[in-house]
Amino acid sequence: MSAAVQSGKKATGLPRDVVVVAGLRTPLGKAGGAFDKLGAVELGSMAMRELLARSPVSSDDIDQVILGNVIQPAEASNIARVIALTAGVPQQVPAHTVHRNCASGMQAITDAAEKIQLGRADVVLAGGVESMTHAPLLFDDRFRAAMAKWPRAKALPQKLSVLAELARAPWKPRIALLEGLTDPTVGMGMGQTAELLAREFGVTRAEQDAYALMSHQRAAAGWSDGWFDDEVMHLFAPPSYADVHRDEGIRAGQTLQALAKLKPAFDRPLGSVTAGNSSQITDGAAMLILSHREKAEAEGWPIMGYLRDWAYTGCDPARMGLGPVFATHRLLASGGLSMSDITRMEINEAFAVQVLACLKAMESEAFAAEQLGGKPIGVPDMDRLNVHGGAVAIGHPVGVSGARLVLTLLGQLQKDTGGGLGVATLCIGGGQGGAMLLEGC
Amino acid sequence: MQVVTLIRNDEDTRLHFERSDKSVNVLDEKCISQLEAHLDALETAPPALLVLESGMPGSFIAGADLEMIAGVTEQAAATAMAGRGQALCRRIERLPSLSIAMVHGACMGGGLELALACDYIVAVDDKKTMLGLPEIKIGIHPGFGGCVRLPKRVGWVKAVEMILSGSVLDVNRAYRAGLAALTARPEQCDDAIGYLAKRGKVKSRPFAPWWLRLWPARELFFRQVEKKAMARFKHLDIEAAYPAVPATIALLKAIIGMSDAPALAREAESLGRLAVTPTCKNLIRVFYLGEALKKQAAVKRGRDAVATMQKAAVYGAGVMGGGIAWVASQSMDVDLHEVAAEPLGRGMKGIARLAMRKKGRADSKRLARIRPVLDESGLSDVDVVIEAVLEDIRVKRRLWASLGKHVRKDTLLLSNTSSLSISDMQHRRANAGRIAGLHFFNPAPKMPLVEVVAGEKTTPETVDKVCALAVSWGKYPIIVAESPGFLVNRCLMPYMVAALKLVASGEKIGHVDGALKCFGMPMGALELADRVGLDICMHVGTHLSEVLSAAGQRFAMPEWFARMVADGLLGEKSGKGFFIYEEGKQGDLNPDLARYLPLAGLHEHEGDADLGSEKTPMEQAAVVDGCLIPMLVEALACLGEQVVDDPVQLDAAFVYGIGFPPFRGGLLRYFAGRDVEALKQSIAAAGLPVPEKMDLLGDFR
Repeated sequence: MSAAVQSGKKATGLPRDVVVVAGLRTPLGKAGGAFDKLGAVELGSMAMRELLARSPVSSDDIDQVILGNVIQPAEASNIARVIALTAGVPQQVPAHTVHRNCASGMQAITDAAEKIQLGRADVVLAGGVESMTHAPLLFDDRFRAAMAKWPRAKALPQKLSVLAELARAPWKPRIALLEGLTDPTVGMGMGQTAELLAREFGVTRAEQDAYALMSHQRAAAGWSDGWFDDEVMHLFAPPSYADVHRDEGIRAGQTLQALAKLKPAFDRPLGSVTAGNSSQITDGAAMLILSHREKAEAEGWPIMGYLRDWAYTGCDPARMGLGPVFATHRLLASGGLSMSDITRMEINEAFAVQVLACLKAMESEAFAAEQLGGKPIGVPDMDRLNVHGGAVAIGHPVGVSGARLVLTLLGQLQKDTGGGLGVATLCIGGGQGGAMLLEGC
Repeated sequence: MQVVTLIRNDEDTRLHFERSDKSVNVLDEKCISQLEAHLDALETAPPALLVLESGMPGSFIAGADLEMIAGVTEQAAATAMAGRGQALCRRIERLPSLSIAMVHGACMGGGLELALACDYIVAVDDKKTMLGLPEIKIGIHPGFGGCVRLPKRVGWVKAVEMILSGSVLDVNRAYRAGLAALTARPEQCDDAIGYLAKRGKVKSRPFAPWWLRLWPARELFFRQVEKKAMARFKHLDIEAAYPAVPATIALLKAIIGMSDAPALAREAESLGRLAVTPTCKNLIRVFYLGEALKKQAAVKRGRDAVATMQKAAVYGAGVMGGGIAWVASQSMDVDLHEVAAEPLGRGMKGIARLAMRKKGRADSKRLARIRPVLDESGLSDVDVVIEAVLEDIRVKRRLWASLGKHVRKDTLLLSNTSSLSISDMQHRRANAGRIAGLHFFNPAPKMPLVEVVAGEKTTPETVDKVCALAVSWGKYPIIVAESPGFLVNRCLMPYMVAALKLVASGEKIGHVDGALKCFGMPMGALELADRVGLDICMHVGTHLSEVLSAAGQRFAMPEWFARMVADGLLGEKSGKGFFIYEEGKQGDLNPDLARYLPLAGLHEHEGDADLGSEKTPMEQAAVVDGCLIPMLVEALACLGEQVVDDPVQLDAAFVYGIGFPPFRGGLLRYFAGRDVEALKQSIAAAGLPVPEKMDLLGDFR
């Protein structure tokens, strides 16, 4: 934040109050499900067009567009720009795409907030978009190399040798989705990092399943109460164009018995992490419009809440699931806050075990002394944490989740608590944590 | 006045087409004789490089002068006219100069034939650059050598397709087809000329494709072409209705492989025969009627205001609403509003079907411009609202009242009502001047006509804007008075009622519909009722007989028809009406009809019928007269009541609004050819009043 002071853009020397004036997301569809025929560009542009239509902010007011996206489609380089133009944002408004893995959506928001604080922008449209359905299949690199020789092979013998090379190269496609969910530096899949936490923190299968059940029940209750109605748009998806409003992955009738039947997904037969107690692979988009208080008040825009502070930290890639502990610790410490000051908290449910491990680490004296160099930061009450369900039930479209957490937390501070402070935090593949401090109004 | 100028420069010589008396270049008497004079000069001192270019924005040469074709009455004169054009092209072709046509803008018919006489065509990159031979659409075929030269450029397969369908190619397609040797941006024109000049004059063009040289392949190919071309006209007597289609096929088949001189002679001779047919005259007339609607004064006045419009909101996602949203999406962002998710989804699905182009690919860019909406969002920047909600004045009044809070004060509020009063909608509304009627015909994306209706308080500016808006969407607007049923539906009802009476008196349904289709109507009157929806027909008929009580019996729907509606036989939308429908496709007769129509012969399959017990069917002509005469009487009554001012527009309305056969030139034009006294007798025999405006028909001969 000192950068803001030094930049000299603002005479007062103080960062401006960053506010969110509008936000909305698509329902989240299961991979290969409701949004099978929609790519990330379509999902993103539908959400952006809808948000611009619903909010009092006109597309001419936007200074910049920043979107997070992990599986960046080859046919839409700098997808933020493609989406902005498709959604009718004027072409003089610049757009760029950011990538911090599972925190890409949050990264877009904090980047936008920093630009606003620095006085480099007044209004930024930020969010995340992901179509995990359309993660590509890749050719093996030997196949690619052989293909690259083909145009240069002029004479028949050369052509034959290229063909032979092609025939020998592995034909089996590499699955980009799986490779993206694997950490190359430690050679572990995300599921395996979750299994590691289960073993180290002694989180049982039963505890994980019970947490997963709660996530479904909370999300289902949120939908049946109409809590999500204004957070989520209606989307008419081809080919049937039937209305999709509810998140597709939520199972209102989920039971412990059904969860118990599932086999371990990542570590057979001894593991405890299953498809049922992990986050779901999903498609969707979330969009927010950020500005500063002076601008919002001058224009008469409603203020959903304030973005007070944010922090990113690194940690062991093999234990990436603990990222929220480190990030939340830094966030609270820099604000001189304690866990009791926090009214609502959202920890992204990459895996049920990963949330449970974070909670154990947060209250552990030993962990605090060893890893954080001080006292434990404490745990939020369960009735303050992920109160309307999380990624286990709703889904985890990787580039979107960071933005979704901010959006849903702002909704809680507005509708449930009528103000107060909230923390949205998530673990990031590759061994990082991100956390944001929000204030309701 | 100079319309073609010969400019001799150092590096090249140019034939520059530019004129101030018309908005486009056309090959009329003036242009052709000047060209001939220039060619005399060019032949005595041929330049190394000759460039044909146009100084008119958006037009290279739009074609031969239609009035010239419309005016020719003697076959020999028409053949000579073609011969003159052919000679012109042949002289350009034979010049020792290298010739290049720089095509920037519309290059149609005779214009393209002139360009084809050059060694190379350069298609200058512009949305307006379109190349094609659309002569078939006015009932003739290319006559200045196009039938001979086009196949040499693009191959016989593509050429036959282009000439028979009259399709036009944009820059990229023209290049891909081989019609244009090069595409160039406007600023690259000189480079393009330089590049082609180096290539030199084209010596010969190979025959393509090679397999058409083989006699069996050729026979097979033309048989397929014929089958495909005739499929569109299966009910018509093609020789009388569209003689140009078989004549063109025969011509192309005859000249394939022939040397140029006899081929050109055949072309001119065949054109001479076609140019004097009534079909040709009628089609040209219908074309002019459409152009007149598009260029009417109101459109010109409203054009500037419409150019800046960017966003439309359509209320109601039914078949009409969805169709209108699709029409509007060609130039605007569209919000499609509906009260519930289920009908909105169905509407979007219908639009997605409209978006399907050839090869199963959807026009996804245009589709993305349509946003389905369930709330009141997105109204603050809307330029025009069109409603196609339930046909109930209270529903519509409520809609306009609720919109008033959200939209700008100058946002046009248009109703697609077919029967309600616009003035009623304006009652007690603030800014009522921007409320008007814009009535589309089903299916909205296909039918070119729209009726524009002003209520008492509608301002003239609003009417101008609505007309210009319709034209910007490729529609033909006709301004009609705010009278019940407006023009087209009011005239359509007596037609339908007449068909119902025929059926009730024992005529077979298939016979009535078949006779009308043979006459050239796009569908029979009973299928039309099914497509429109029997409930809607009932509603309109009852409504009209109430409000036009003097002529009430002309609109009164029979009692058995009301029973069909009451029993849920609503036509296409319920799957059953007079016919059975599956996924929009017409199937067999509805077997339940016997309950409503005891007299109707339902055994319409050959062999099923007990022929002895049925009455002899009416003559086809009598069926057609029986249905059309009530429509004529109503149309003339509308003229008497000044529902439209200009009787000529009435003919346009029937052709473009309900698909009255264009080769017949329009309703009034068709009846103008009949003996007045006999017609009066038929009208009286049908129990109808003889209209005051009967004499008007004399002007349509």
